[in-house]
Amino acid sequence: MERNGFLELRGIASRYGATQVLTDIDLSIAKGEFVALLGSSGCGKTTLLRLLAGFIGPSAGEVKVRHRDVTYLPPDKRGMALVFQSYALWPHMTVAQNIGYGLKLKGVPRQEIATRVAAMQSLLGLDGLDARKPSALSGGQRQRVALGRALAIDPEILLLDEPLSNLDARIRLTVRHELRALQKRLGITAIHVTHDREEAMVMADRIVILNAGKIAQQGTPEDVYNRPASAFVAAFMGAENVLFLNGTPQGDQFAIAAGPANAAGSVPLGGRALAAGPVEARFRPEAARLFAADEIAAIGPGITFRGEVAAVSYPGGHWRHVVRLGQTEIMADAERAFEPGGRVAVFVPAEALFLFNLPEAVSAFPISQTSSGKVHA
Amino acid sequence: MSRRLLGLLLVLPALAVIAFLFILPLIMSAVGAFQVEGAFGWGNFTKTFDLYTKDIIFTVVIVSLSTVLIGIASIAIGGYLTLGEHPVAVAILRWLYRWPMFIPFIVVGQILRTFLAKNGMMNNTFINLGLLTPLDAVSFLDWRGIVVAFVWKQTPFVALLVAGAMASINRDTIEAARNLGASRLRLLLEIVVPQVAMTLTVGLILSFVTMMSVLSVPLMINAQSPTMLTADIAFRVNSYGDYGVANALGLISLVLAASVAWIYLRASLKERA
Repeated sequence: MERNGFLELRGIASRYGATQVLTDIDLSIAKGEFVALLGSSGCGKTTLLRLLAGFIGPSAGEVKVRHRDVTYLPPDKRGMALVFQSYALWPHMTVAQNIGYGLKLKGVPRQEIATRVAAMQSLLGLDGLDARKPSALSGGQRQRVALGRALAIDPEILLLDEPLSNLDARIRLTVRHELRALQKRLGITAIHVTHDREEAMVMADRIVILNAGKIAQQGTPEDVYNRPASAFVAAFMGAENVLFLNGTPQGDQFAIAAGPANAAGSVPLGGRALAAGPVEARFRPEAARLFAADEIAAIGPGITFRGEVAAVSYPGGHWRHVVRLGQTEIMADAERAFEPGGRVAVFVPAEALFLFNLPEAVSAFPISQTSSGKVHA
Repeated sequence: MSRRLLGLLLVLPALAVIAFLFILPLIMSAVGAFQVEGAFGWGNFTKTFDLYTKDIIFTVVIVSLSTVLIGIASIAIGGYLTLGEHPVAVAILRWLYRWPMFIPFIVVGQILRTFLAKNGMMNNTFINLGLLTPLDAVSFLDWRGIVVAFVWKQTPFVALLVAGAMASINRDTIEAARNLGASRLRLLLEIVVPQVAMTLTVGLILSFVTMMSVLSVPLMINAQSPTMLTADIAFRVNSYGDYGVANALGLISLVLAASVAWIYLRASLKERA
């Protein structure tokens, strides 16, 4: 998709009182693109969305749509429509009145409003509900009315503030695909705020991961999943197993020194700029392969750790093992169950092992402390 | 003793107070309205309608007009407190608007008597400003004075209820309308007010009933005819000892107050359905 700078954010910063909520956000979004803003609560993603919508002004920076500065334009002059997390349907209006209100404000003739509301209702599968009040609708229907209300004014940009978080888990899965298909069909540009990694992966063309008010990484779902730019992104994208290793770059390889739980080995650098010294290694439980201690075979580049099974459970599809490697515990999945107490080898293939230099003075990333806690949980 | 009997015994003092101090006098005066010299009849009502039809209409018009004005003023105040963007102005209004609630009706009457009279403060100010000549100055101490007093005194009470209800509606519903381009007036009238309609109705009905029962304001401001029913009741009792007609007037007031309560009940039933 061509980055023609349809929607541009330049150096956006925002503060709430003395708190810096957003710092230096640069983002360029193409027409028709579906971008997910992903981050944990309090990372500034909703602030960024409200800033785009025009409910708050930035303390620095500018927002441009088609090279036109909209930073300080009122919410309705930006060609954007927002779908709220709470849906924010007007309880005193019927479904048809809710969907048609934006058109009524624009002074569209009554007859045309009725036609367009009817079209929107059949697009969203809300036929026959026009006279219902929001209180008489199910969660999924309310969500679709909220979407219909935003789409009715034919916006260029659709802003979605966690629109699926109030739905049942099962409905949520179907609505994800419906929403994505609708966005593609209408060719509308969408910016979707979510804290749900899988939702972002499934729906978005591009994922922008926010951490503490800054963009931690942006890229396609495959990119951020397989090539995390930082320990934070790796942890946020599910690589919660963390180990500390030592290594040195040697040509196009990174040689890892033998440690208390691992033999020496090397992995291809693959363009990564890793410096010699201690590194933080992260990997996903499902990326690891488990073997009995005596049956290890050489299976391509990677690192093998040796440890003892501390616990095993069956979350479905595979067995999940808690493996004690010296002082730390990690999680690893396997097709078959290994007995607790048994010695095992954990092989992590090179492409699934994310290595990051430790920042000077600061030891591990905060999230790595919590991840070991999660292992016990 | 059985538990049921004990429960009844516990509630008896409260019931007795209600029965003897409230229900019984109410029934007595209602019955009294139909008694003329020891016999039952419509005499008191014939006399009431002969003498006071004008006052009944006057009362209904004054109180209804005041209710409408109170409604408009409290929507304006609540709306500014909810949608106003100037924080200092909002803070000042929030601090200021409740004061009249704590001033008794009789004091309100006293204040407005000096303010609205022919040579009162309002006219003097206008004359000093050159907006009015002394000859054109008129007294507002008639039905207009009563309306001003009622609105001044009752608006804070309704505004307090309405502003509270407005503050508790989902802010997203306001922002959703702003997002679609609603002006501030449309936000207020089409999004905010409909969501607090029930609270507004309750506040206005309570105000209506309160205003129906105020004696001091009509006595202080409008000591002429036509006047309000409360003043007539006081006059019948104090000057003539005529409890029959006073009871009939009281019963008519009760019917008027009950009719607005009935509107409220019907609306709340409809909302629940």
